[in-house]
Amino acid sequence: MTESAAAGAPVLEVKQLRKYFPIRTGVLSRISGYVRAVDGVTFDIRPGETFALVGESGCGKSTTGRTILRLTGATDGEVHYNGEDVLAASGDRMRRLRKAMQIVFQDPYSALNPRMTVGTAIREILQVHGVASGPQARERVEELLVRCGLEAYHSWRYPHEFSGGQRQRVVIARALALDPQFIVADEPISALDVSIQSQIINLLEDLQDTYQLTYLFISHDLSVVRHMADRVGVMYLGKLVEVAEKREFYREPLHPYSQALLSAIPVSDPAIRKTRIILKGDVPSPANPPAGCPFHTRCPVAMEVCRSVVPELKPTTGGRQVACHLVHPVS
Amino acid sequence: MRTDDRTTATAAIQEAAQDHGLQDGATVRKKTSELREVIRHLVRNRAAVIGLVIIGGFVFTSVFAPLFATHEPLRTELGNRLQPPSREHLLGTDELGRDLFSRMLYGGRISLNIGVISVLIGVMIGVPIGAISGYFGGRLDILTQRFIDIMIAFPGILLAIVVVTVLGVGVENVMIATGIASIPIYARLVRGSVLAIKEQSYVAAAYAAGLGDGRIIFRQILPNCLAPIIVQSTFQIATSILWAAGLGFLGLGAQAPTPEWGAILSNGRAYIRTAHHLTTYPGLAILLMVLGFNLVGDGLRDALDPKTR
Repeated sequence: MTESAAAGAPVLEVKQLRKYFPIRTGVLSRISGYVRAVDGVTFDIRPGETFALVGESGCGKSTTGRTILRLTGATDGEVHYNGEDVLAASGDRMRRLRKAMQIVFQDPYSALNPRMTVGTAIREILQVHGVASGPQARERVEELLVRCGLEAYHSWRYPHEFSGGQRQRVVIARALALDPQFIVADEPISALDVSIQSQIINLLEDLQDTYQLTYLFISHDLSVVRHMADRVGVMYLGKLVEVAEKREFYREPLHPYSQALLSAIPVSDPAIRKTRIILKGDVPSPANPPAGCPFHTRCPVAMEVCRSVVPELKPTTGGRQVACHLVHPVS
Repeated sequence: MRTDDRTTATAAIQEAAQDHGLQDGATVRKKTSELREVIRHLVRNRAAVIGLVIIGGFVFTSVFAPLFATHEPLRTELGNRLQPPSREHLLGTDELGRDLFSRMLYGGRISLNIGVISVLIGVMIGVPIGAISGYFGGRLDILTQRFIDIMIAFPGILLAIVVVTVLGVGVENVMIATGIASIPIYARLVRGSVLAIKEQSYVAAAYAAGLGDGRIIFRQILPNCLAPIIVQSTFQIATSILWAAGLGFLGLGAQAPTPEWGAILSNGRAYIRTAHHLTTYPGLAILLMVLGFNLVGDGLRDALDPKTR
């Protein structure tokens, strides 16, 4: 609580964000249902912090990131960036917002146009926004590349001439081109070799310190999140089930799903005995989510009420938020 | 631990930089490495080389037709009608005593022109249609694609005949007609490629960076659809030449006395029993030219596809 008060107004406010993908069937492609990829997600990100969104694949964390940036249209909900409505912005205002909000992609191999030198690709962005042109733009590109651990002459290179780690540096340099304040890092290291991962993490942290960047860090790697994040949001089946300060979260996860996730992290000391919580069954289909708590089908401590009543994400002690009937008993 | 990582990383980068630094002057050369690779694979493919030689031969003789021609292609010599091939008339003479060899040389110019220009027309109209249809999708895509379906439902040659009938006969109109007939092929082809490429993250990145739709289509997506367009174009040149010859044969293409191969073939038909050279040689020429383009097209398709290299 004290920290959030000190940090002031949030940079990004996401309210009841929903993204449903229609399922079309038959010759006439009639809509027969919806995949609820993001189903009413609400959270804030404070200036300068790293908010990590974790969860297993298919839980909607990437879709959340892409919807915030309007790379896919939201079905419902609100996104405010510094008080400005992102989902309703148009024309000039959207262009200004695009400058401030950028994205780093998971797979650096498909994130760069193979037919363009990286210099041309970044220069184009500068020119379109009227930030710089001509030799000035060239200089800026080289500066960005150097800042991201590459060399100035790399601007003449094509993407296929780089290694995976170098490509990710280029992707980060491109994201930085317009001096953004907020970056969605969509699993930025999961496609890289382990040896390269730490370099990219260091770079991201370095840049955050220098430019006071705010990150929405999407990952399924809880060890990396522990290293990077200030706060953690756990997603399950399109919903946030727990939001907490990192320290609190790793010390004592409150939601049964968070507990199961954390118990799966290997511990380096063999003397420490851990009880692993092994979840049974598969994640239910987001096209047909279970009634009540989305997690009740796999929850080891599910109660009768969990089958019928959807738990709301509500604050508990220490500025934490949890969506679980065990924490917030139904009256 | 982290600082260690960082120092070793910088060391590695500096080392790599030195490696690259040595070849820094080679950046310009490296730029063309893709093209070089394609050429290398094309030259290794024997069939493609034969095709290249055939096309090269036709282009050469067409460009320098006046040098090779032994006679005026349009001059009639009625006393010398329907002569079989001889030293004076290498491929004989036609029903008006014109030298067939010279007429064939000039006819090559027309056929190549028709092939190239009609493909340009098809590409210039079909590619944007396909790109816009695939990129924007939705209702626009459905409408465009149904219209393309209608065009594809007609055989190309029939479509060309319809267009020529509307526009009138003549070489220019044949180019336009075969060009229009090839539009649906390009529109379909490009739409498919665009649908695949627009899912790539770099397109999303360009969108997130605030680049406009036009820029994304023409700078990010279309350059990556180039390979299938090039391959299709070599096949399409062959098809257009064939269609043009067909139209010429039907009397809808080049008009007398223009020495177009299809028209020569058509005129010679009446004398096929007495002077078969009037149909044999134009027929062979059409066959060879179409074969040449098809061989090169096959070779290019393999050379441009990184998976078959």
